[in-house]
Amino acid sequence: MITSIVLSGTAMGCIYALIAVTYNVMFSASRVFSFTAGTLGMLGGVLGSLFIARMGMPLVPGFLLVLVGGALIGIVTEIVAVRPVLRSLDQHLYVLSTLALALMIQQFTAIEWSTEPLPFPRLFDMPRVEFDQQYWLPMLACASVIAGLELLYHYTLIGHAFVAIAEDNYAARALGLPERRLRMTSFALAGVIGALAGFAGGEMLLAFFANAPMLTFYGFVPVALGGMGNNRGAVVAGLLLGLFQQSANFLVGGIFASVAVFTVFIIVLLARPNGLVGPSMQRRV
Amino acid sequence: MTPLGPNRADVPAPASAFGAAVPLLALLVFGVTLPLFGGGYWGVIATRACVYWVLVSGLNLVVGFAGQIAIGWVALLTLGAYTTSVLAAGNVMVALPPYLALAIAAVLGAIFGLIVGLPALRLRTFYFAITTLGFATIVTQVALAWQSVTGGGVGVPGPVLPEPFASQWGFYYFCFGLAAICTWMTANIAASRFGRALTAIRDAEVAAEASGIAKPKLLGTVFLFAGAVAAIAGGLFASLQSYITPDAFTLDLSVLFFIAILIGGRSSILGPLLGTVLLTVLPEFAAPLVAWSTFLYAVLLLIIVLAIPGGIAEMLDFENRRPLESDRAIVPRPDLVGRLLDAASEAGPLTLEQVALSFGGVRAIDGLDLEIRPGQVHGLIGPNGSGKTTTLNVISGYYVPQRGAVRLNGAALAPLAREARAHRRIARTFQTPRIVGCATVLENVMIGGTIDGCGTFVESLLSLPRHRRDETMLRTTAMLALASVGLERLAVVRADRLQHAELRFIEIARALMLRPKFLLLDEPAAGLSAEEIARLATLLLAIARAGTGVLLVEHHPDLIFDICDQVTVLNLGKTLAAGTPREIRSHREVVNAYLGG
Amino acid sequence: MPISAADPLLIVTGLASGYGKIRVLAGVNLKVHAGEVVALLGPNGAGKTTLLRAVSGLLPRQGSVHFAGQDLAGFGPRETVKAGLAHVVEGHRVFTQLSVVDNLMLSAYDLPRRERSARAEEVLALFPEIAVKRHERTAWLSGGQQQILAVAQELIRRPRLLMLDEPSAGLSPVLVDRVLDVVQRLREAGTAVLLVEQLIEKALGVADRVYALARGSIVLESRTSEADLPQLLEQAYMATPARHA
Repeated sequence: MITSIVLSGTAMGCIYALIAVTYNVMFSASRVFSFTAGTLGMLGGVLGSLFIARMGMPLVPGFLLVLVGGALIGIVTEIVAVRPVLRSLDQHLYVLSTLALALMIQQFTAIEWSTEPLPFPRLFDMPRVEFDQQYWLPMLACASVIAGLELLYHYTLIGHAFVAIAEDNYAARALGLPERRLRMTSFALAGVIGALAGFAGGEMLLAFFANAPMLTFYGFVPVALGGMGNNRGAVVAGLLLGLFQQSANFLVGGIFASVAVFTVFIIVLLARPNGLVGPSMQRRV
Repeated sequence: MTPLGPNRADVPAPASAFGAAVPLLALLVFGVTLPLFGGGYWGVIATRACVYWVLVSGLNLVVGFAGQIAIGWVALLTLGAYTTSVLAAGNVMVALPPYLALAIAAVLGAIFGLIVGLPALRLRTFYFAITTLGFATIVTQVALAWQSVTGGGVGVPGPVLPEPFASQWGFYYFCFGLAAICTWMTANIAASRFGRALTAIRDAEVAAEASGIAKPKLLGTVFLFAGAVAAIAGGLFASLQSYITPDAFTLDLSVLFFIAILIGGRSSILGPLLGTVLLTVLPEFAAPLVAWSTFLYAVLLLIIVLAIPGGIAEMLDFENRRPLESDRAIVPRPDLVGRLLDAASEAGPLTLEQVALSFGGVRAIDGLDLEIRPGQVHGLIGPNGSGKTTTLNVISGYYVPQRGAVRLNGAALAPLAREARAHRRIARTFQTPRIVGCATVLENVMIGGTIDGCGTFVESLLSLPRHRRDETMLRTTAMLALASVGLERLAVVRADRLQHAELRFIEIARALMLRPKFLLLDEPAAGLSAEEIARLATLLLAIARAGTGVLLVEHHPDLIFDICDQVTVLNLGKTLAAGTPREIRSHREVVNAYLGG
Repeated sequence: MPISAADPLLIVTGLASGYGKIRVLAGVNLKVHAGEVVALLGPNGAGKTTLLRAVSGLLPRQGSVHFAGQDLAGFGPRETVKAGLAHVVEGHRVFTQLSVVDNLMLSAYDLPRRERSARAEEVLALFPEIAVKRHERTAWLSGGQQQILAVAQELIRRPRLLMLDEPSAGLSPVLVDRVLDVVQRLREAGTAVLLVEQLIEKALGVADRVYALARGSIVLESRTSEADLPQLLEQAYMATPARHA
């Protein structure tokens, strides 16, 4: 029993953490939160089921195509919902534009794919065990993404450029960095991460359009608690959230578990509006 | 205009009065006569539109006026629907009469509206939006789980109103009546100091603070009201559906309410009303589109946000498409200033005593003494980074000095109590003009006098006499303030159409509404032409001679040396020199520091 | 097309710019010749920073900017740097999360990798005080060192003209001299410099010519060798507009 809670909690926590990282990568590039993060997670599952189960593609090409889909949605978010809004004086419009885009994608999926949750294919043909692939796939995905991002930010030029833009957008522009191209690339990267989260968690979450609002909310909790733009905080908070949720599920049942998670979230947030850890770097005033 | 200033006849009527009245009356007539030409099917649609509008009218104050992104307001609809139905059906206790059940739902809705809304005071925009979504999901899930009370997935029957409202058309007229009342009430608020204050909080928060507007109290009141009407709408919704289950309260519905307001346009009553009707009726016109309705709403929202952020209200705003005269001059009337200000003020000086403030390791202000006397213009100059604006912000209450005190008439001013400054009659302007772009010039100036209104929110809601007296008083005073700065001809123009210099003078007019004992100006001459600076100088002199103490933070030497009685020169947070302009002008060190050397 | 030594390298004509509705600059004309140091002085709020931002493309502008015979119409900061006109912004802003070397590599973003390292070494050789700290995070550098790094970042692009916005701001006198020393060396190496400075005496000490900006337009233009320059400057700042030397 305990093992089951720990495994499912950690796995779900990894999915939430990845969605949180999606939010963070978009935020670092644009100082804007996008409602499409949760939608990307949902698409990872739906597209995976579409390509592999329904269309019968083999695993690797199907997987890569899902990631490409995620990248495209990320780029569309940047072009349609973020870039026009950054230019305007009322910055808060991004909440509405990204909400509109997320809703459009969700509704389109509900109508064209299905309003019911459909099964997600078993990716590796292995027998079911306790530490089953539906649990270790999300964990593997999360670990890979975190490791990959660390390498990217520390050792590559483009990673340094992302760090620069996140810290001081004005100085980066003045230095001649290709700000717009870098932002689009960030959003594409975020799209890949979000889609990966949904794909790796496909067996647990199934291919269901309503995963989008659920992931939008639960994926944001680690961002809020871990600090804006702070990926390490997001992973820790995500894992804690996953474990807390699954324990509550087991102890008091699904619905009261949601109430419990939400109540704790609201209380913590009201007490520390900047999260438990605080933002990853103090922006230069 | 008489030489003494505008008289009552010249004061423009409330901007929304004629413009919106005609379409609203048309809708009223249409609604009342609907049964004569519409069939039963359209009656249901119309009833639904009325019920939605009851909720949206309240949410409009939260989202459209106050700018709070409360996406999950369907939680209140759910709460109201279940409360009314359960109480009327007698699941928990003795069955109550439907009206009583509705009233209790309203009270519960008010309280819950406050709970859902209050995080807005502490959280960033996106965070607050997410929490309201969380509330919406939670409420629906509670409805699903609490089977003993709510019937769980099976649901409960909705309340049935007694005759004459039990029939279809009877119920329609009941809902229509409530919708009309809600329209009237929220229109009253829109044209009151509360409505203007909400818009100020949304678009010019620092200016709202400087005018004494207390955000928590006002937002709290609005959340109470919006929660109450949403719950009532919930009860009506339950009655309309005859039977409610948790999956009637989807996220789609919440999105519909929210989008109706944004399509309609912010700070408008008519816009969101038309938006609600449009979104309720649209799916009916194209049956195959029903499944796509939320998709279309989202597309509409995206188009509005990107192309016409002002929504339907902006499209219908014909008054503000008329071109303005191009060579407008700002001609202040210093003689009117005396009428506006309280000349017989027995105020003591505003003093800073050994104030020190550091940010991190940097000493922004290092032991500053300053005395601003009523009736005098005191200049504060110095190079960039010398602490001028920081000093002004300390006086206004934005920063807490680590040492020293700010005193008015000997009594210390509470730090960080920004709204309290207005009550002490300390007014200020800002380096970049903080103006509500979508409101008229007159409304912007009236915001300055918000704290002088006596009527309560409820009195404004019901347009009681005290509210109307407040409005007349504020309107007349604002016209006088506008005339004294020379902008009365632009009173009914939308503020975002004006030039930068005009916006600066509007800020001064707004500050004058407080009849300030002290006026703090943050670089008011920036961006003004030489002529405008000269006119600003005469205006400021008149304000000072009327008894106000003026603190002028500036770069422009002309303004400083022409009108100041005293000048303090700051450098690196310390006083470099203080004295009359002539003394300062010849002070060698000052010339170097001020010019940079 | 070869530019003769007599032709100005930078020609700004009728430049106007501002922030939204606030118009700061109104019709600025100035020239900088190859290899000369020009100081831009003026009281606060005159528009000096705005001027540099408008020239390098950080702000939208009206009027024209010609550099090395090329019209920079529509150029943003990226294209302007490529054309040879570099801008060191105010406030010694460097990327504190990255090391000195990484900061330098970022400025050479468009160059191929080998070229990038080579140029970084070249520039570090000029500035030993930051060369010793090459792998340290710049958050640990002093203000003066950060300012020198900021200048080094722009020098990597081998600009023909370097615009410096108040490099002495917030620095102690010793560091200020160090930074102005750099300006001197640049002049000797043939790079033109447009220097915005608050410290008049220091600026005049290193410059060949000076412009004074007040209330959005140029009010004085002079060689620094002029005898009564300080008085002329004072008069120019304090007077009403349309007084030209």
